[in-house]
Amino acid sequence: MTWRGAVAIARKDLAIEWRTKTAFMSSLVFAVLVLAVLFFARDATAVSAFDMAPGVLWVTFTFAGMLGLNRAFLVERENRSLDGLRLSPATPTAIFLGKVAGNIVFVGVVELVSLPLFVLFYDVAIWRQVPLLIGVIAMATVAFVAVGTLLSAMVVRTRFSEVMLPVLLLPFLVPPIVSAVQLTWRILADRPLAEMTGWLSLLGSFDIVFFILSLLLFDAIITE
Amino acid sequence: MTRRDKALQLARRGGIVTGLAIAGLVGVYIRALVYTPIERFQGPAQKIFYVHAPVAWASLLAFAVCGLLSLAYLFMRDRRVDLLAVSSAEVGVALSVAMLTTGPIWGKPIWGTWWTWDARLTSTLFLFLLFVGYLVLRGALSDLEVRARYSAAVGVMALVLVPFIHVTVYWFRTLHPAPVVMKPESPSLPGVMLTTLLISIAVFTLLYIGFLMLRYALAVLEDVKLEEAAHELS
Amino acid sequence: MNYPDNGAYMVAAYVVTAIVVVGYAAMLFFRIRKLR
Repeated sequence: MTWRGAVAIARKDLAIEWRTKTAFMSSLVFAVLVLAVLFFARDATAVSAFDMAPGVLWVTFTFAGMLGLNRAFLVERENRSLDGLRLSPATPTAIFLGKVAGNIVFVGVVELVSLPLFVLFYDVAIWRQVPLLIGVIAMATVAFVAVGTLLSAMVVRTRFSEVMLPVLLLPFLVPPIVSAVQLTWRILADRPLAEMTGWLSLLGSFDIVFFILSLLLFDAIITE
Repeated sequence: MTRRDKALQLARRGGIVTGLAIAGLVGVYIRALVYTPIERFQGPAQKIFYVHAPVAWASLLAFAVCGLLSLAYLFMRDRRVDLLAVSSAEVGVALSVAMLTTGPIWGKPIWGTWWTWDARLTSTLFLFLLFVGYLVLRGALSDLEVRARYSAAVGVMALVLVPFIHVTVYWFRTLHPAPVVMKPESPSLPGVMLTTLLISIAVFTLLYIGFLMLRYALAVLEDVKLEEAAHELS
Repeated sequence: MNYPDNGAYMVAAYVVTAIVVVGYAAMLFFRIRKLR
Protein backbone atom coordinates (compact mmCIF):
# COMPACT_ATOMS: atom_id res chain seq x y z
CA MET A 1 0.00 0.00 0.00
CA THR A 2 2.82 2.36 0.83
CA TRP A 3 4.55 1.94 -2.52
CA ARG A 4 1.37 2.30 -4.54
CA GLY A 5 0.41 5.36 -2.56
CA ALA A 6 3.82 6.90 -3.00
CA VAL A 7 3.84 6.27 -6.73
CA ALA A 8 0.35 7.67 -7.05
CA ILE A 9 1.34 10.85 -5.23
CA ALA A 10 4.51 11.24 -7.29
CA ARG A 11 2.60 10.75 -10.51
CA LYS A 12 -0.03 13.25 -9.45
CA ASP A 13 2.57 15.90 -8.63
CA LEU A 14 4.45 15.34 -11.87
CA ALA A 15 1.23 15.38 -13.88
CA ILE A 16 0.27 18.71 -12.32
CA GLU A 17 3.69 20.12 -13.06
CA TRP A 18 3.72 18.74 -16.58
CA ARG A 19 0.53 20.55 -17.45
CA THR A 20 1.92 24.04 -16.94
CA LYS A 21 5.66 23.40 -16.62
CA THR A 22 5.95 26.81 -14.95
CA ALA A 23 8.12 25.79 -12.02
CA PHE A 24 10.24 23.58 -14.21
CA MET A 25 10.86 26.33 -16.73
CA SER A 26 11.65 28.85 -14.01
CA SER A 27 14.16 26.53 -12.38
CA LEU A 28 15.79 25.77 -15.68
CA VAL A 29 16.09 29.40 -16.75
CA PHE A 30 17.40 30.21 -13.29
CA ALA A 31 20.05 27.50 -13.60
CA VAL A 32 21.22 28.78 -16.96
CA LEU A 33 21.35 32.35 -15.67
CA VAL A 34 23.37 31.37 -12.62
CA LEU A 35 25.83 29.42 -14.77
CA ALA A 36 26.26 32.35 -17.11
CA VAL A 37 26.45 35.10 -14.51
CA LEU A 38 28.99 33.26 -12.37
CA PHE A 39 31.11 32.71 -15.44
CA PHE A 40 31.35 36.44 -15.93
CA ALA A 41 31.60 37.25 -12.23
CA ARG A 42 35.33 36.69 -12.00
CA ASP A 43 38.64 38.08 -13.12
CA ALA A 44 39.21 35.80 -16.12
CA THR A 45 42.96 36.36 -15.98
CA ALA A 46 43.21 35.24 -12.38
CA VAL A 47 40.54 32.56 -12.04
CA SER A 48 40.21 29.84 -14.63
CA ALA A 49 36.79 28.50 -15.50
CA PHE A 50 38.02 25.07 -14.55
CA ASP A 51 38.90 26.13 -11.00
CA MET A 52 35.49 27.65 -10.48
CA ALA A 53 33.55 24.91 -12.19
CA PRO A 54 32.78 22.47 -9.35
CA GLY A 55 31.58 25.22 -7.01
CA VAL A 56 29.51 26.84 -9.74
CA LEU A 57 27.87 23.56 -10.65
CA TRP A 58 26.75 22.94 -7.12
CA VAL A 59 25.61 26.46 -6.38
CA THR A 60 23.52 26.22 -9.53
CA PHE A 61 22.02 22.83 -8.68
CA THR A 62 21.32 23.82 -5.09
CA PHE A 63 19.58 27.09 -5.80
CA ALA A 64 17.63 25.81 -8.79
CA GLY A 65 16.71 22.78 -6.72
CA MET A 66 15.39 24.89 -3.86
CA LEU A 67 13.06 26.67 -6.27
CA GLY A 68 11.57 23.32 -7.15
CA LEU A 69 11.25 22.04 -3.61
CA ASN A 70 8.82 24.65 -2.44
CA ARG A 71 6.30 23.91 -5.11
CA ALA A 72 5.76 20.33 -3.87
CA PHE A 73 3.80 21.51 -0.87
CA LEU A 74 2.69 24.85 -2.17
CA VAL A 75 0.49 22.96 -4.57
CA GLU A 76 -1.21 21.27 -1.61
CA ARG A 77 -1.83 24.49 0.23
CA GLU A 78 -4.24 25.73 -2.40
CA ASN A 79 -7.63 24.03 -2.15
CA ARG A 80 -6.42 22.55 1.16
CA SER A 81 -5.61 19.34 -0.62
CA LEU A 82 -3.13 18.48 2.10
CA ASP A 83 -6.11 17.62 4.29
CA GLY A 84 -7.32 15.45 1.46
CA LEU A 85 -4.00 13.65 1.44
CA ARG A 86 -4.18 13.12 5.17
CA LEU A 87 -7.66 11.66 4.97
CA SER A 88 -6.69 9.34 2.18
CA PRO A 89 -5.50 5.83 3.02
CA ALA A 90 -1.95 6.94 2.15
CA THR A 91 0.35 6.63 5.17
CA PRO A 92 2.66 9.53 6.08
CA THR A 93 5.52 7.38 4.83
CA ALA A 94 3.81 7.03 1.47
CA ILE A 95 3.20 10.76 1.28
CA PHE A 96 6.83 11.48 2.10
CA LEU A 97 8.21 8.95 -0.38
CA GLY A 98 5.84 10.19 -3.04
CA LYS A 99 6.78 13.81 -2.52
CA VAL A 100 10.50 12.98 -2.41
CA ALA A 101 10.21 10.91 -5.58
CA GLY A 102 8.38 13.70 -7.37
CA ASN A 103 10.96 16.22 -6.19
CA ILE A 104 13.88 14.01 -7.24
CA VAL A 105 12.42 13.66 -10.71
CA PHE A 106 11.82 17.41 -10.92
CA VAL A 107 15.28 18.41 -9.65
CA GLY A 108 16.89 15.56 -11.56
CA VAL A 109 15.50 16.75 -14.85
CA VAL A 110 16.65 20.32 -14.18
CA GLU A 111 20.12 18.94 -13.37
CA LEU A 112 20.22 16.72 -16.42
CA VAL A 113 19.34 19.58 -18.71
CA SER A 114 21.74 22.09 -17.15
CA LEU A 115 24.67 19.65 -17.01
CA PRO A 116 25.42 19.78 -20.75
CA LEU A 117 25.13 23.56 -20.59
CA PHE A 118 27.62 23.54 -17.75
CA VAL A 119 30.00 21.44 -19.87
CA LEU A 120 29.49 23.87 -22.73
CA PHE A 121 30.01 27.10 -20.80
CA TYR A 122 32.88 25.95 -18.62
CA ASP A 123 34.60 23.77 -21.14
CA VAL A 124 35.05 20.80 -18.86
CA ALA A 125 35.54 17.30 -20.19
CA ILE A 126 33.34 14.90 -18.31
CA TRP A 127 32.88 12.12 -20.83
CA ARG A 128 35.18 9.62 -19.23
CA GLN A 129 33.79 10.14 -15.79
CA VAL A 130 30.10 10.44 -16.54
CA PRO A 131 28.96 7.43 -14.45
CA LEU A 132 30.88 8.56 -11.37
CA LEU A 133 29.75 12.16 -11.79
CA ILE A 134 26.13 11.11 -12.22
CA GLY A 135 26.51 8.97 -9.11
CA VAL A 136 27.78 11.88 -7.04
CA ILE A 137 25.07 14.17 -8.39
CA ALA A 138 22.45 11.58 -7.53
CA MET A 139 23.71 11.11 -3.99
CA ALA A 140 23.88 14.82 -3.23
CA THR A 141 20.45 15.38 -4.80
CA VAL A 142 18.89 12.70 -2.62
CA ALA A 143 20.40 14.44 0.42
CA PHE A 144 19.01 17.86 -0.24
CA VAL A 145 15.68 16.64 -1.59
CA ALA A 146 15.03 14.47 1.48
CA VAL A 147 15.77 17.22 3.99
CA GLY A 148 14.23 19.86 1.74
CA THR A 149 10.98 17.93 1.40
CA LEU A 150 10.63 17.66 5.17
CA LEU A 151 11.42 21.34 5.71
CA SER A 152 9.17 22.54 2.91
CA ALA A 153 6.27 20.63 4.47
CA MET A 154 6.84 22.76 7.55
CA VAL A 155 7.49 26.16 6.04
CA VAL A 156 4.60 26.02 3.60
CA ARG A 157 2.38 27.09 6.47
CA THR A 158 4.36 30.27 7.04
CA ARG A 159 3.96 33.44 5.11
CA PHE A 160 7.46 33.75 3.69
CA SER A 161 8.03 30.15 2.75
CA GLU A 162 10.25 31.02 -0.23
CA VAL A 163 12.74 32.63 2.13
CA MET A 164 12.28 30.35 5.11
CA LEU A 165 13.10 27.22 3.17
CA PRO A 166 16.63 28.30 2.14
CA VAL A 167 17.26 29.76 5.61
CA LEU A 168 16.50 26.47 7.31
CA LEU A 169 17.83 24.21 4.57
CA LEU A 170 21.24 25.71 3.83
CA PRO A 171 23.00 24.63 7.04
CA PHE A 172 21.90 21.08 6.25
CA LEU A 173 23.44 21.35 2.83
CA VAL A 174 26.96 22.01 4.09
CA PRO A 175 28.06 18.37 4.46
CA PRO A 176 26.54 17.02 1.22
CA ILE A 177 27.38 20.01 -0.97
CA VAL A 178 30.94 20.43 0.31
CA SER A 179 31.43 16.69 -0.27
CA ALA A 180 29.88 16.97 -3.73
CA VAL A 181 32.14 19.88 -4.70
CA GLN A 182 35.22 18.08 -3.39
CA LEU A 183 34.26 14.98 -5.32
CA THR A 184 33.34 16.91 -8.47
CA TRP A 185 36.66 18.68 -8.74
CA ARG A 186 38.52 15.43 -8.13
CA ILE A 187 36.45 13.73 -10.80
CA LEU A 188 37.02 16.54 -13.29
CA ALA A 189 40.72 16.57 -12.48
CA ASP A 190 40.96 12.82 -13.03
CA ARG A 191 42.19 12.11 -9.52
CA PRO A 192 42.45 8.50 -8.36
CA LEU A 193 39.47 6.95 -6.64
CA ALA A 194 41.44 6.54 -3.43
CA GLU A 195 41.29 10.29 -2.89
CA MET A 196 37.53 10.27 -3.06
CA THR A 197 36.59 7.52 -0.66
CA GLY A 198 36.49 9.77 2.39
CA TRP A 199 34.10 12.29 0.87
CA LEU A 200 32.04 9.52 -0.69
CA SER A 201 31.56 7.90 2.70
CA LEU A 202 30.59 11.23 4.24
CA LEU A 203 28.08 11.87 1.48
CA GLY A 204 26.75 8.34 1.65
CA SER A 205 26.35 8.28 5.42
CA PHE A 206 24.66 11.69 5.34
CA ASP A 207 22.24 10.33 2.74
CA ILE A 208 21.33 7.31 4.80
CA VAL A 209 21.06 9.09 8.13
CA PHE A 210 19.08 12.08 6.93
CA PHE A 211 16.80 10.17 4.60
CA ILE A 212 15.72 7.92 7.44
CA LEU A 213 15.52 10.82 9.90
CA SER A 214 13.44 12.93 7.51
CA LEU A 215 11.14 9.98 6.89
CA LEU A 216 10.62 9.41 10.61
CA LEU A 217 10.09 13.08 11.42
CA PHE A 218 7.67 13.54 8.52
CA ASP A 219 5.17 11.43 10.39
CA ALA A 220 5.24 13.90 13.28
CA ILE A 221 4.90 16.83 10.89
CA ILE A 222 2.01 15.64 8.82
CA THR A 223 -0.08 13.97 11.52
CA GLU A 224 -2.23 16.47 13.36
CA MET B 1 0.44 27.86 43.83
CA THR B 2 -0.77 28.83 40.44
CA ARG B 3 1.31 28.22 37.38
CA ARG B 4 2.01 31.91 37.28
CA ASP B 5 3.27 32.01 40.85
CA LYS B 6 5.54 29.06 40.22
CA ALA B 7 6.96 30.80 37.18
CA LEU B 8 7.61 33.96 39.16
CA GLN B 9 9.32 31.93 41.86
CA LEU B 10 11.49 30.29 39.23
CA ALA B 11 12.28 33.73 37.82
CA ARG B 12 13.41 34.93 41.22
CA ARG B 13 15.61 31.90 41.73
CA GLY B 14 16.93 32.19 38.19
CA GLY B 15 17.76 35.79 38.90
CA ILE B 16 19.77 34.75 41.92
CA VAL B 17 21.66 32.08 40.00
CA THR B 18 22.35 34.51 37.17
CA GLY B 19 23.46 37.15 39.65
CA LEU B 20 25.85 34.68 41.24
CA ALA B 21 27.16 33.70 37.83
CA ILE B 22 27.75 37.31 36.84
CA ALA B 23 29.55 37.89 40.13
CA GLY B 24 31.60 34.81 39.34
CA LEU B 25 32.29 36.25 35.91
CA VAL B 26 33.65 39.41 37.49
CA GLY B 27 35.91 37.18 39.56
CA VAL B 28 37.04 35.33 36.45
CA TYR B 29 37.76 38.62 34.71
CA ILE B 30 39.93 39.78 37.59
CA ARG B 31 41.70 36.48 37.86
CA ALA B 32 42.32 36.20 34.13
CA LEU B 33 43.34 39.75 33.52
CA VAL B 34 45.39 40.42 36.65
CA TYR B 35 46.45 37.17 38.29
CA THR B 36 47.05 34.90 35.32
CA PRO B 37 50.42 35.32 33.64
CA ILE B 38 50.72 36.57 30.09
CA GLU B 39 51.72 33.93 27.58
CA ARG B 40 55.10 34.85 26.21
CA PHE B 41 54.63 34.13 22.52
CA GLN B 42 50.98 35.04 22.04
CA GLY B 43 50.81 38.01 24.33
CA PRO B 44 47.81 39.33 26.24
CA ALA B 45 45.44 38.37 23.43
CA GLN B 46 45.86 34.75 24.46
CA LYS B 47 43.75 35.57 27.52
CA ILE B 48 40.73 35.91 25.23
CA PHE B 49 40.78 32.14 25.34
CA TYR B 50 39.54 32.26 28.95
CA VAL B 51 36.24 33.74 27.85
CA HIS B 52 35.99 32.51 24.28
CA ALA B 53 36.34 28.79 24.98
CA PRO B 54 33.94 28.67 27.97
CA VAL B 55 31.25 30.71 26.20
CA ALA B 56 31.61 28.39 23.21
CA TRP B 57 31.17 25.41 25.49
CA ALA B 58 28.10 26.98 27.09
CA SER B 59 26.45 27.77 23.76
CA LEU B 60 27.07 24.27 22.44
CA LEU B 61 25.68 22.88 25.69
CA ALA B 62 22.59 25.02 25.19
CA PHE B 63 22.07 23.78 21.65
CA ALA B 64 22.67 20.17 22.64
CA VAL B 65 20.13 20.44 25.45
CA CYS B 66 17.65 21.96 23.02
CA GLY B 67 18.23 19.08 20.63
CA LEU B 68 17.69 16.47 23.32
CA LEU B 69 14.60 18.22 24.65
CA SER B 70 13.27 18.36 21.08
CA LEU B 71 13.66 14.62 20.81
CA ALA B 72 11.96 14.20 24.17
CA TYR B 73 9.08 16.41 23.06
CA LEU B 74 8.36 14.22 20.05
CA PHE B 75 7.76 11.31 22.39
CA MET B 76 6.19 13.07 25.37
CA ARG B 77 4.27 15.88 23.62
CA ASP B 78 4.45 17.84 26.86
CA ARG B 79 4.22 21.59 26.32
CA ARG B 80 6.64 22.29 29.18
CA VAL B 81 9.35 20.36 27.33
CA ASP B 82 8.75 22.54 24.29
CA LEU B 83 9.02 25.73 26.36
CA LEU B 84 12.25 24.50 27.93
CA ALA B 85 13.63 23.63 24.49
CA VAL B 86 13.00 27.08 23.03
CA SER B 87 14.47 28.63 26.18
CA SER B 88 17.67 26.68 25.74
CA ALA B 89 17.74 27.59 22.05
CA GLU B 90 17.46 31.29 22.74
CA VAL B 91 20.13 31.20 25.45
CA GLY B 92 22.32 29.30 23.00
CA VAL B 93 21.83 31.96 20.36
CA ALA B 94 22.71 34.73 22.83
CA LEU B 95 25.87 32.94 23.99
CA SER B 96 26.80 32.18 20.38
CA VAL B 97 26.83 35.89 19.67
CA ALA B 98 29.56 36.23 22.29
CA MET B 99 31.41 33.25 20.86
CA LEU B 100 31.20 34.42 17.26
CA THR B 101 32.38 37.92 18.14
CA THR B 102 35.24 36.92 20.45
CA GLY B 103 36.33 34.30 17.91
CA PRO B 104 37.49 36.76 15.26
CA ILE B 105 38.83 39.13 17.93
CA TRP B 106 40.99 36.25 19.12
CA GLY B 107 41.76 35.03 15.62
CA LYS B 108 43.20 38.25 14.26
CA PRO B 109 46.16 38.56 16.64
CA ILE B 110 46.73 34.84 17.14
CA TRP B 111 46.09 33.38 13.67
CA GLY B 112 46.63 36.52 11.62
CA THR B 113 43.16 36.40 10.11
CA TRP B 114 39.71 37.42 11.34
CA TRP B 115 38.03 34.16 10.43
CA THR B 116 39.87 30.86 10.34
CA TRP B 117 37.15 28.50 9.04
CA ASP B 118 38.24 25.98 11.63
CA ALA B 119 35.85 23.18 12.54
CA ARG B 120 34.61 24.50 15.85
CA LEU B 121 34.07 28.11 14.90
CA THR B 122 32.40 27.25 11.61
CA SER B 123 30.19 24.60 13.18
CA THR B 124 29.05 27.13 15.74
CA LEU B 125 28.35 29.64 12.98
CA PHE B 126 26.07 27.20 11.19
CA LEU B 127 24.41 26.13 14.42
CA PHE B 128 23.84 29.78 15.26
CA LEU B 129 22.24 30.41 11.87
CA LEU B 130 20.18 27.26 12.15
CA PHE B 131 18.82 28.17 15.56
CA VAL B 132 18.10 31.71 14.48
CA GLY B 133 16.07 30.04 11.74
CA TYR B 134 14.46 27.85 14.42
CA LEU B 135 13.40 30.93 16.37
CA VAL B 136 12.17 32.69 13.22
CA LEU B 137 10.14 29.61 12.26
CA ARG B 138 8.54 29.60 15.68
CA GLY B 139 7.70 33.24 15.29
CA ALA B 140 5.97 32.51 12.00
CA LEU B 141 3.73 29.73 13.35
CA SER B 142 0.71 30.78 15.33
CA ASP B 143 -0.74 27.42 16.28
CA LEU B 144 1.05 26.46 19.52
CA GLU B 145 0.88 22.72 19.02
CA VAL B 146 2.12 22.92 15.43
CA ARG B 147 4.86 25.28 16.52
CA ALA B 148 6.06 22.88 19.20
CA ARG B 149 6.01 19.90 16.86
CA TYR B 150 7.80 21.65 14.00
CA SER B 151 10.41 23.19 16.30
CA ALA B 152 11.08 19.78 17.80
CA ALA B 153 11.69 18.33 14.35
CA VAL B 154 14.17 21.08 13.49
CA GLY B 155 15.84 20.68 16.89
CA VAL B 156 16.37 16.96 16.40
CA MET B 157 17.70 17.51 12.89
CA ALA B 158 20.10 20.14 14.18
CA LEU B 159 21.37 17.74 16.82
CA VAL B 160 22.09 15.05 14.22
CA LEU B 161 23.66 17.58 11.86
CA VAL B 162 26.37 18.73 14.27
CA PRO B 163 28.80 15.81 13.88
CA PHE B 164 28.41 15.91 10.09
CA ILE B 165 29.24 19.60 9.90
CA HIS B 166 32.16 19.13 12.24
CA VAL B 167 33.68 16.34 10.16
CA THR B 168 33.04 18.22 6.91
CA VAL B 169 34.74 21.38 8.04
CA TYR B 170 37.56 19.48 9.71
CA TRP B 171 38.34 17.52 6.55
CA PHE B 172 38.02 20.63 4.44
CA ARG B 173 40.44 22.46 6.69
CA THR B 174 42.88 19.59 6.78
CA LEU B 175 43.19 20.06 3.05
CA HIS B 176 43.42 23.83 3.27
CA PRO B 177 45.18 24.70 6.50
CA ALA B 178 45.14 28.32 7.55
CA PRO B 179 48.45 30.09 7.90
CA VAL B 180 49.75 29.68 11.40
CA VAL B 181 51.24 32.84 12.82
CA MET B 182 51.80 31.70 16.34
CA LYS B 183 51.26 28.60 18.39
CA PRO B 184 47.58 27.95 17.68
CA GLU B 185 46.25 25.89 20.55
CA SER B 186 47.27 25.64 24.13
CA PRO B 187 47.05 21.89 24.51
CA SER B 188 49.01 21.76 27.70
CA LEU B 189 48.17 24.80 29.78
CA PRO B 190 50.38 25.22 32.80
CA GLY B 191 48.72 25.09 36.22
CA VAL B 192 47.56 28.66 36.80
CA MET B 193 46.20 29.09 33.30
CA LEU B 194 44.41 25.76 33.39
CA THR B 195 42.76 26.64 36.69
CA THR B 196 41.59 29.97 35.29
CA LEU B 197 40.10 28.21 32.31
CA LEU B 198 38.32 25.63 34.45
CA ILE B 199 36.89 28.24 36.79
CA SER B 200 35.67 30.18 33.78
CA ILE B 201 34.01 27.09 32.32
CA ALA B 202 32.25 26.49 35.63
CA VAL B 203 31.06 30.12 35.79
CA PHE B 204 29.71 30.07 32.24
CA THR B 205 27.93 26.79 32.92
CA LEU B 206 26.29 28.39 35.93
CA LEU B 207 25.42 31.37 33.75
CA TYR B 208 23.75 29.06 31.24
CA ILE B 209 21.68 27.49 34.02
CA GLY B 210 20.66 30.89 35.37
CA PHE B 211 19.69 32.17 31.91
CA LEU B 212 17.78 28.96 31.22
CA MET B 213 15.78 29.32 34.43
CA LEU B 214 14.94 32.95 33.64
CA ARG B 215 14.06 32.26 30.04
CA TYR B 216 11.90 29.27 30.95
CA ALA B 217 10.08 31.31 33.58
CA LEU B 218 9.47 33.93 30.91
CA ALA B 219 8.18 31.27 28.52
CA VAL B 220 5.75 29.96 31.12
CA LEU B 221 4.54 33.48 31.91
CA GLU B 222 3.92 34.12 28.21
CA ASP B 223 2.09 30.81 27.96
CA VAL B 224 -0.07 31.65 30.98
CA LYS B 225 -0.91 35.02 29.44
CA LEU B 226 -2.01 33.32 26.22
CA GLU B 227 -4.16 30.91 28.20
CA GLU B 228 -5.80 33.76 30.07
CA ALA B 229 -6.46 35.61 26.84
CA ALA B 230 -7.98 32.50 25.31
CA HIS B 231 -10.22 32.02 28.34
CA GLU B 232 -11.45 35.58 28.18
CA LEU B 233 -12.51 35.09 24.60
CA SER B 234 -14.52 31.96 25.34
CA MET C 1 58.56 42.17 28.40
CA ASN C 2 59.02 40.84 24.89
CA TYR C 3 55.50 39.68 24.11
CA PRO C 4 53.42 41.05 21.23
CA ASP C 5 51.51 44.24 21.80
CA ASN C 6 47.96 42.96 21.31
CA GLY C 7 46.33 43.95 24.57
CA ALA C 8 43.69 45.98 22.74
CA TYR C 9 42.20 42.79 21.32
CA MET C 10 42.03 41.29 24.77
CA VAL C 11 40.18 44.29 26.13
CA ALA C 12 37.80 44.30 23.18
CA ALA C 13 36.93 40.63 23.64
CA TYR C 14 36.35 40.95 27.36
CA VAL C 15 34.21 44.04 26.87
CA VAL C 16 32.11 42.41 24.12
CA THR C 17 31.50 39.33 26.26
CA ALA C 18 30.45 41.47 29.21
CA ILE C 19 28.07 43.45 27.01
CA VAL C 20 26.45 40.30 25.62
CA VAL C 21 26.08 38.65 29.03
CA VAL C 22 24.78 41.69 30.89
CA GLY C 23 22.72 42.75 27.90
CA TYR C 24 20.93 39.43 27.60
CA ALA C 25 20.38 39.26 31.36
CA ALA C 26 18.85 42.74 31.29
CA MET C 27 16.70 41.82 28.32
CA LEU C 28 15.32 38.79 30.16
CA PHE C 29 14.78 40.84 33.30
CA PHE C 30 12.75 43.49 31.49
CA ARG C 31 10.72 40.99 29.51
CA ILE C 32 9.79 39.17 32.74
CA ARG C 33 8.96 42.40 34.48
CA LYS C 34 6.59 43.36 31.68
CA LEU C 35 4.63 40.18 32.26
CA ARG C 36 4.58 40.36 36.03
